[in-house]
Amino acid sequence: MLSTFRSIRLQIRVIGALLMREIHTRYGRENLGFLWVVGEPALFCIGVAIMWTAIRPAHEHGVPVTAFVITGYVPLVMWRHCVQRGVKAFEANGSLLFHQQVTPLDIILARVVLEVYGAIIAGLLVAGAAILLGYMELPANPGLMYMGMGYQIVFCLGCALIIASLSEISDVLEKFMGAFTYLSIPFSGAFTMVDWVPPQFQAVLLWSPSVHSLEMIRGGQFGSRVHVHYDVWYTTWTCALLILIGLSLTLRSRRHIVVQ
Amino acid sequence: MIRCVDVVKEYRVGKGVRRVLDRVSLQVERGQKLAVLGRNGAGKSTLIKIIGGVELATAGRIEREMSVSWPLAFGGAFQGSLSGLDNLRFISRIYDLDYHDTRAFVDDFAELGHQLGEPVKTYSSGMRARLAFALSIAIEFDCYLIDEVIMVGDQRFFRRCQEELFEKRGDRALIIVSHDMNFIREVCDRGAVIHDSQLYLCDSVASAVQYYTSL
Repeated sequence: MLSTFRSIRLQIRVIGALLMREIHTRYGRENLGFLWVVGEPALFCIGVAIMWTAIRPAHEHGVPVTAFVITGYVPLVMWRHCVQRGVKAFEANGSLLFHQQVTPLDIILARVVLEVYGAIIAGLLVAGAAILLGYMELPANPGLMYMGMGYQIVFCLGCALIIASLSEISDVLEKFMGAFTYLSIPFSGAFTMVDWVPPQFQAVLLWSPSVHSLEMIRGGQFGSRVHVHYDVWYTTWTCALLILIGLSLTLRSRRHIVVQ
Repeated sequence: MIRCVDVVKEYRVGKGVRRVLDRVSLQVERGQKLAVLGRNGAGKSTLIKIIGGVELATAGRIEREMSVSWPLAFGGAFQGSLSGLDNLRFISRIYDLDYHDTRAFVDDFAELGHQLGEPVKTYSSGMRARLAFALSIAIEFDCYLIDEVIMVGDQRFFRRCQEELFEKRGDRALIIVSHDMNFIREVCDRGAVIHDSQLYLCDSVASAVQYYTSL
């Protein structure tokens, strides 16, 4: 019991150290430094939000465009960053695996924590600014929104674990990632709502756990103004399955990593 | 005590498999100093990495009943793009050391001065070795794994190692890979030779050196 507690503490310390290291290698110590963790996704969201607000009508399908873009983009950026940072993550951190207490799982957890944190803070900043400027309203049902974000975070972690391990085993995967992240955009649920597409496509979209969590987030933001489609049970078991597959691959991946 | 039991290591080469280590067994007790000799590419560094937990054996097992350092070698252990200080911070965090004490010790031992603030990739191999030794000595392992790297240091660094590692910490175990026979004779009390994927344990350092030179 005591040793379990101690090893959990050790792993938390390792993840903390990896987080600091990640911030320093990616953003350096100069000028804004770690603020870019938030700045990078924030710039993206602000840009897209302004563009859509400018070129689209103020409401689409009765939904205000600015809020629609922000609630879609934040989870999408979170997922994309998690998956992209997962590719070849072990190789990039190979020299750290010289230390026995650093494991592939710690490396991925540190990266996912950083990306999730960046996306959430960026989302809060951009949404806060939009609300203050009158382009967006406060969420109608915050609880549902938190639940959607929670599922999206678990989904991101599962995908990052799987992609990180597979990219270590197969070099070809890396080449497919660009096309994959682009082509999967419709299945993220970020740019459309399930209710807007014809019924035969709805079923296809609802295969993606991300679409369910996005529907929850939209439901949380717009309340009764939209009709949302999601299945908590389906999202729970698909996310749990992704995490299980991801964990099992990550724990096996150590054998495939050749440390210089 | 560290015990390797029937350790096998294979690498995939093209379509085939190359067996670098074939059922290697050895045991190192507290305070023992083992020299591992062998031609280039014989598998010495691979064995050290497996003992240090950096690489996993294909088969067999490693039992560690004392703390083992990471392999002090030319590569690894540091992030090149980060400064020596950031690497020091990282290692203090994961080994739960006090940053200020560690920094004071490293400053004194490695004598890197202001270069500690520069990225590690700009260091010479001698400077990297100094940083690696300073940090691993600060951590106080029971067993140190040294892969060649001690030879790249200058006279002064060698004297500091002599003092801090071989004298003050004479009770620690060492596993050393080296081609410097004088150094091996001076420091080690046991010898082993890796040849044709097999490990041959010798009765004395002298007989290990003799076997190695006859290869």
